[in-house]
Amino acid sequence: MAGLAAAFGSGAMTNSIEELAGADTIFVIGSNTTAAHPLVADRLYRAKKNGATIIVADPRKIQLALTADLYVSQALGSDAALINGIAHIIIKEGWQNQQFIDDNTEGYEDFKALVEGYTPERTTELTGVSKQDLYFIAEKYAKAPAGSIVYCMGITQHTSGVDNVKSLANLAMLTGQIGRESTGVNPLRGQNNVQGACDMGGLPDVYPGYQKVDVPDNQAKFAKAWNAELSPKAGLKIPDMLTGLNDGSVKVLFVVGENPMMSDPDQHHVELALKKAELLVVQDIFDHQTAQLAHVVLPGASYAEKDGTFSNTERRVQRLHKAVEPVGDSKADWEITQEISNRFGYPMNYASPAEIMDEIAQVTPQYGGINYERLEGEGLLWPCPNQDHPGTKFLHAGGKFARGKGLFHAIEWRAPAEVVDEEYPLWLTTGRAHVHYHTGTMTRNSPSLHALMPEGFAEINPVEADRLGVSEGEMLQLTTRRGTIQAKAMITERVRPGMVFVPFHFMEACANVLTNPALDPVCKIPEFKVCAVKLDKAA
Amino acid sequence: MKQKIIERAKALLSSGEIGGFLALKQEGVHIAPHLFTDPAELDMLSLGDGQGLGDARYPLVKLLYTLAERFPQEKFGVMVRGCDERALNQLLKEDRACPMTAGRVIPVGFSCPEELAKACECAKPWPDAMVAGEKMEGFPPPESDMADLMAELQQWFGEADRCLKCLGCKNSCPVCVCHECTLEEEAMLPQRQLPPTPNFLFTRAVHMVDRCVYCGLCEAACPAGIPLKKLYRLVAQLVGQGIPLVGAAPRPQPQPAAQL
Amino acid sequence: MDYKSTLSVCPYCGCGCSFYLETIDGKLVGTKPSATSPVNNGKLCVKGWKVHEFVQSPRRLTNPLLRKNGELVEVSWDEALDYVADKLKKIKAEHGPDSIAFLASAKITNEDNYVLQKFARAGVGTNNVDHCARL
Ligand code: SF4
Ligand code: SF4
Ligand code: SF4
Ligand code: SF4
Ligand code: SF4
Repeated sequence: MAGLAAAFGSGAMTNSIEELAGADTIFVIGSNTTAAHPLVADRLYRAKKNGATIIVADPRKIQLALTADLYVSQALGSDAALINGIAHIIIKEGWQNQQFIDDNTEGYEDFKALVEGYTPERTTELTGVSKQDLYFIAEKYAKAPAGSIVYCMGITQHTSGVDNVKSLANLAMLTGQIGRESTGVNPLRGQNNVQGACDMGGLPDVYPGYQKVDVPDNQAKFAKAWNAELSPKAGLKIPDMLTGLNDGSVKVLFVVGENPMMSDPDQHHVELALKKAELLVVQDIFDHQTAQLAHVVLPGASYAEKDGTFSNTERRVQRLHKAVEPVGDSKADWEITQEISNRFGYPMNYASPAEIMDEIAQVTPQYGGINYERLEGEGLLWPCPNQDHPGTKFLHAGGKFARGKGLFHAIEWRAPAEVVDEEYPLWLTTGRAHVHYHTGTMTRNSPSLHALMPEGFAEINPVEADRLGVSEGEMLQLTTRRGTIQAKAMITERVRPGMVFVPFHFMEACANVLTNPALDPVCKIPEFKVCAVKLDKAA
Repeated sequence: MKQKIIERAKALLSSGEIGGFLALKQEGVHIAPHLFTDPAELDMLSLGDGQGLGDARYPLVKLLYTLAERFPQEKFGVMVRGCDERALNQLLKEDRACPMTAGRVIPVGFSCPEELAKACECAKPWPDAMVAGEKMEGFPPPESDMADLMAELQQWFGEADRCLKCLGCKNSCPVCVCHECTLEEEAMLPQRQLPPTPNFLFTRAVHMVDRCVYCGLCEAACPAGIPLKKLYRLVAQLVGQGIPLVGAAPRPQPQPAAQL
Repeated sequence: MDYKSTLSVCPYCGCGCSFYLETIDGKLVGTKPSATSPVNNGKLCVKGWKVHEFVQSPRRLTNPLLRKNGELVEVSWDEALDYVADKLKKIKAEHGPDSIAFLASAKITNEDNYVLQKFARAGVGTNNVDHCARL
């Protein structure tokens, strides 16, 4: 998010999902699309059927690798090196789109100087990807009439996550593969309404619509709209909130619809922080580990029990309609917040979500033309600034970036925050399984999904299995510098020797007991995707 | 065409002959299954043509199975195309406990246009209970010869690589009504990750032999774009020639019970 | 005899597939992918097909809970809401608005998120608002 916004001026997916089916080359990196975004995979399959070249780069041999024209397994944490290496070849061969670079971007010379250093030889050494494969990717991507990049958490959940994303943005600007139909850079949002949560100002430094809180004009505008005095300084990000709880500067944490005990790295640290809160409020649809620590638990209504909107990964705002009454005494989240606000002394009196959307449209330029009546069709893709605007399928049309000129960033590759050593000799990575979602609160309460995949597991290569003398289904013990879990062994060639994969949905084999909380310095995404681990057969 | 269906449904509802008419309803751009109980609502009826011909069909017969079971005293009308009616007949034929008996269910049918029938490779694009449209020749695909069959079979082992195990093929199939589906059993999921083994696809194909009505709803629901009807035809032909498919798991006994 | 299909949007991944939630007499019984949705054209993944299942699960939270003598016990909405509002007022008065922090969510609606951050910013007076999924 921060990476793309820095380069283009907007952090969202540049194209709509359907457009992917029309691309000529698609470079998929760090996205296990068939498991995590199945309906995007649908478009990749269709693109392939239409004759597109599909290139997959992932440390694990994911399902999409089987359909790809080229699959490369880059070393964990080597993404920036891989991308720089591809850019090196493109420039050396003169495949860059100089016209586009000259007209629409800045910072090219510094970037060019930096990627000089990423010769194919060095890139191969850092990433394990052969020179021939590097050339194939560079040529197919640069020369495609419509080239698209698709990425997900495999790129962002690193201490170098923001850098990785900037590197992908570099690649798109270098080749002019942006701002046209089926052509762009497409981050796949992990959760259904991450896009919406960001759009609505669920971030410490911006009001709804990415309007910075420390800009006096914005403050004045919102102070007027909301009839209140507003704080001029940016707020705390999650890790700083936890630190604040620990050192006593934060007293209250009000958590809606999240389970930070499971979704944050380094669970023990989170637990200590949460226990220090003077008031911990958890508002959710299911009980979970964080709720168990709370002082107050408020039952929210689920998606099926209320009206509202979600904004999907392609920026499409869609209506959900109330299908059933809320269970028990549960209430829609906005109603609960409104009641607390009224008792607190800041009056609110929305009669319905439609009214809230009308207010959102007034203060959020991207949503300016959105209202419930218009949403009854196929939804609207923002930016949709006014009532007559049809919505926007792809961003940055004609190379006109949201920030003015697109900005190249010269990015050196950095090693992961933790690397393997004698004591912890294997690489651990985490991800999704196709049946489950996030921390499992919803899917694991769905009887048939639970039946399809009742428990967690750890994928290891047959080489590792032999070395340890374990067979399929036997218990493994995984230990990192932070903790230990046990999980059943799944022996598969999907992971290379020296690597272990654990899905992150299972409380009793919680991958985040193990993962490294080291954070990306800019956007504070933790390094879920790589750390060092020791593997034993469980006693 | 649509008007005739609406008139017939109105007559059935108004006379009290049926308590509900199961069909599709159009609201704005959206088309969804709907149980019409008020004749005035019928003006919103849709035949299931969205952007293209027949691209907004739903497994109405499967839904009717559930409704007929849940409301054992009611009588229903149901909108059918040729394939829907074939599915209805198939379920009645194979399942003695099927709640959609002739006395309780009145199909109201219409024929498909030739263009759609060609695209579907449909053998009989019209129902017997037709109130609108006309009978016409079908367009069934030719049978493959033996050598071709074996070659095609080989190809199929690659298709499974794309399968996302969404179970959409089973969920939208009008004749897949088993309570405990073999595809969801542990034995079918030896590797918990994707892709499944080819047996996952072949098992379903074996279950469709002599039962598939080639409506194509499974394909329409497949996010992996797998040409499933072709597979089912192929397997039916192989089984018909006495060639067993090793590894495919049998259908569960006892036989169907409704589920959505 | 009451069968309804209501258009909704998947609460799982960011694709945002839409589907009809099927209810019979007010109980959720099934999910059918919307054939007219531009996102999923009549398809869903395995999670989407089962998305109605958890909604009416007996394990849902159904009542407000308040910790008394170390135990979470069921209380009325009034008691829970008053407790939270009073405590927020008191802590704001003693330690300032920035001692209060909110986690918004990628799982709740735009409207829910908007109202929550508005309460934080305009009601409490802090920009301490973040959410758990920072892609
Ligand atoms: S299979 Fe035949 S009856 Fe069914 S929709 Fe196609 S043409 Fe019509
Ligand atoms: S074509 Fe597919 S959905 Fe239709 S009956 Fe055959 S298997 Fe079932
Ligand atoms: S067991 Fe076979 S026939 Fe029965 S529902 Fe499953 S796939 Fe269909
Ligand atoms: S619908 Fe397609 S992807 Fe889904 S399980 Fe069936 S064959 Fe596999
Ligand atoms: S149905 Fe599957 S692919 Fe579609 S939004 Fe839900 S989780 Fe994502």
